[in-house]
Amino acid sequence: MESAIFVQNLHKTFRNGSSLKAVDGVSFEVAPGEIFSLLGPNGAGKTTTISMLSALLKPDNGATGANDIRIMGRSLITEPLAAKAMIGVVPQDIALYQDLSALENLIFWAKMYGLKGTLLKTRVAEVLDLIGLTDRANDRISKYSGGMKRRVNIGVALLHQPKVIYMDEPTVGIDPQSRRSILDGVIALKNQGMTVLYTTHYMEEAQELSDRIAIMDHGKIIANDSHENLIRLVGQKTRISLSINTEPETMIEPWKACKGVSTIAIEESKINLLVDDSNKVLPRLFETAAAKDVRITSVEIQEPNLETVFLHLTGRALRDA
Amino acid sequence: MKSLTIALNDLRRSFRSTFALLFMFGIPLLVTGMFFVMFGNIKNTDAPVIATTKVALANLDAGNAQTGQLGQTLVDALQSEGLSKLMEVTLVKDSASAREMVVNQQAGVAIIIPANFSDSFSDTQAKVEVEFIQDPTLILGPQVVRSVLNQMLDAYAGIKITVAESLKMAENGNLSYDEISRIVTEYMAATEFSSDSTPLIDLRSPAALPKKNPMVSLVGPIMAGMMIFYAFFTGANTANSILREDEEGTLQRMFTTPTAHTEIMRGKFYSVGLTVIVQVTVLMIAARIIFGIQWGMLASAALTALAIACVAGTFGIMLVSFLKSTKQSGIIFGGALTVTGMLGMVNIFTGNPQSAPLGIVPLFTPQGWATRAILASMDGAAVGTILPSLLIMVAMSIVFFVIGVWRLQSRFA
Ligand SMILES: Nc1ncnc2c1ncn2[C@@H]1O[C@H](COP(=O)(O)OP(=O)(O)OP(=O)(O)O)[C@@H](O)[C@H]1O
Ligand SMILES: [Mg+2]
Repeated sequence: MESAIFVQNLHKTFRNGSSLKAVDGVSFEVAPGEIFSLLGPNGAGKTTTISMLSALLKPDNGATGANDIRIMGRSLITEPLAAKAMIGVVPQDIALYQDLSALENLIFWAKMYGLKGTLLKTRVAEVLDLIGLTDRANDRISKYSGGMKRRVNIGVALLHQPKVIYMDEPTVGIDPQSRRSILDGVIALKNQGMTVLYTTHYMEEAQELSDRIAIMDHGKIIANDSHENLIRLVGQKTRISLSINTEPETMIEPWKACKGVSTIAIEESKINLLVDDSNKVLPRLFETAAAKDVRITSVEIQEPNLETVFLHLTGRALRDA
Repeated sequence: MKSLTIALNDLRRSFRSTFALLFMFGIPLLVTGMFFVMFGNIKNTDAPVIATTKVALANLDAGNAQTGQLGQTLVDALQSEGLSKLMEVTLVKDSASAREMVVNQQAGVAIIIPANFSDSFSDTQAKVEVEFIQDPTLILGPQVVRSVLNQMLDAYAGIKITVAESLKMAENGNLSYDEISRIVTEYMAATEFSSDSTPLIDLRSPAALPKKNPMVSLVGPIMAGMMIFYAFFTGANTANSILREDEEGTLQRMFTTPTAHTEIMRGKFYSVGLTVIVQVTVLMIAARIIFGIQWGMLASAALTALAIACVAGTFGIMLVSFLKSTKQSGIIFGGALTVTGMLGMVNIFTGNPQSAPLGIVPLFTPQGWATRAILASMDGAAVGTILPSLLIMVAMSIVFFVIGVWRLQSRFA
């Protein structure tokens, strides 16, 4: 079967002052009906990728010049209007007219998607119902809560019943309840047969929603697989995070030498280790520290998850915090 | 048709924005209203702002068998009730005593109607000179009297033609002298010289016979100036929505819909034109209703309004194309629009649309041509007369538009 989204060899360098390679050779395919997530820390290049897939940014010619973007078989480069008609884009930042009501916004955007007459009216009513704002339809967007704005922001992208929807961090900065309802909404869309390209830097979201996850870092996709397969990359390893009462650097070398320690990295005064079996490795870490007269002040043990995968692949933590 | 959807959406948003409404309609009408009230006070209060000028009037007119005592009609007009607050007329026997009164400061102004005043109306070749002498130490009062007198004599020029024409016909035996004097009297009645209260300050074109409020001719150019200034402001402010939408992400969102970039940009351009044309139309109608301002013949006024919308809109688009972000818009709009606006409209703000203190400088600005066209239209000019101004405005619009589109297309499309 043909891919819903086919992306090959995208490059994008921003040249303002210094040149920054925001996207560096990204390729992936998403099958129809799949939820595919781009997971990566701030600045990984997720939004830049989505922008190229929405024809908002022109990809640079890659090293081979052979870049391509196809949506449901239509090339975004040679048939942009036909390809864009297949896509609903939910931008990362809310892009609505704050001085208009939700209803007026939806009607305007429906017209921009080419809807007319009764179809326009029924679709606007359906979307209002779907995002649960029928009662508040005539209120101005500026009077809405953050979560309600996010829902309208998503609703706009669903008006023309697209085959493919891009959602760029749709849950940033909202309350848990709104977040839950958005995640449920995404799953409902998948159940209706829609293909979803989702970006996030919350690994829990990627884990819960996605059929497949591409981990992005510094403009590159460094892994692309199902959640289970990604976890398998780190094997049976466990992540241990420790704090000590002195400079973290003091213990890097001694602990690296310990049996069973595979990766060690300092992240914001904490020392993160990937180990084979925490039960066996932990006592050795304590012994080594005691021999050096260093006190361990906190210990955190984490079973393998996407965070561990990211640490394993990059030597850094996924989240800055 | 999506471009029209975009334009209408912008128009709706402008009408919902207090800020836009204030600058589109509020300020122009309020400022004009202020002047209206100020001038209204001059006319209506019992204690006039301008002191009554003492006028020494010598009517030497000998009269004429055919045309009657036209000098006397001018005397009657100057003594009419409506002008009594502006001038206090004292009749004197001869020119010498009239002059003497000015010299002795018993009068601010002396007016001497020559002996051949009536005669000259039956002789197409004759030249009449009504003498006007003023106390050089006075400024405002004599000027007012002089302008009233000028307006009256302008209207006499109309009569003179009428009379001359009538006489020709009479010689052919078509009209009796009685009929001629009836025509003259009717004309006088129609222009209300000799009769009632309205002071005839604005009768430059005899074609505009319906009664005009004198304030209209003072407030009209102010309203025109306000309208042009704020049309340019609205043009720039609406064009600025391209940058605002870029910063708010709605422009990008439009680009993600299956809509050609050129269609989206066209929609934004339509929205500028549409908003300014709505603004100008509403302002003209409102000023007509509220202040009774006459904009001239329908075709002239409508075409001028259209040309103003074009040049104001495209000027705004060009200005915006030079901005990096909306943060700069305040300074650039304030600077560019104030400078070009003031230069273009200097003739209105110096109080005399006829004189040109800065020579041709105003004509280097689009506002200058807009002012010129609208004042001509208000003066009753036909489309043919203002066509050159309109064509220059269209030419300027094309230049502004090409520059603006060229810069914006390379950025957004
Ligand atoms: N228009 C631009 N001009 C210059 N640099 C840019 C531009 N847009 C993005 N960048 C840079 O490109 C890199 C990738 O940015 P991008 O927005 O794609 O990241 P992201 O993965 O979406 O991050 P986040 O999770 O914070 O949204 C960043 O370093 C960013 O500063
Ligand atoms: Mg982003």
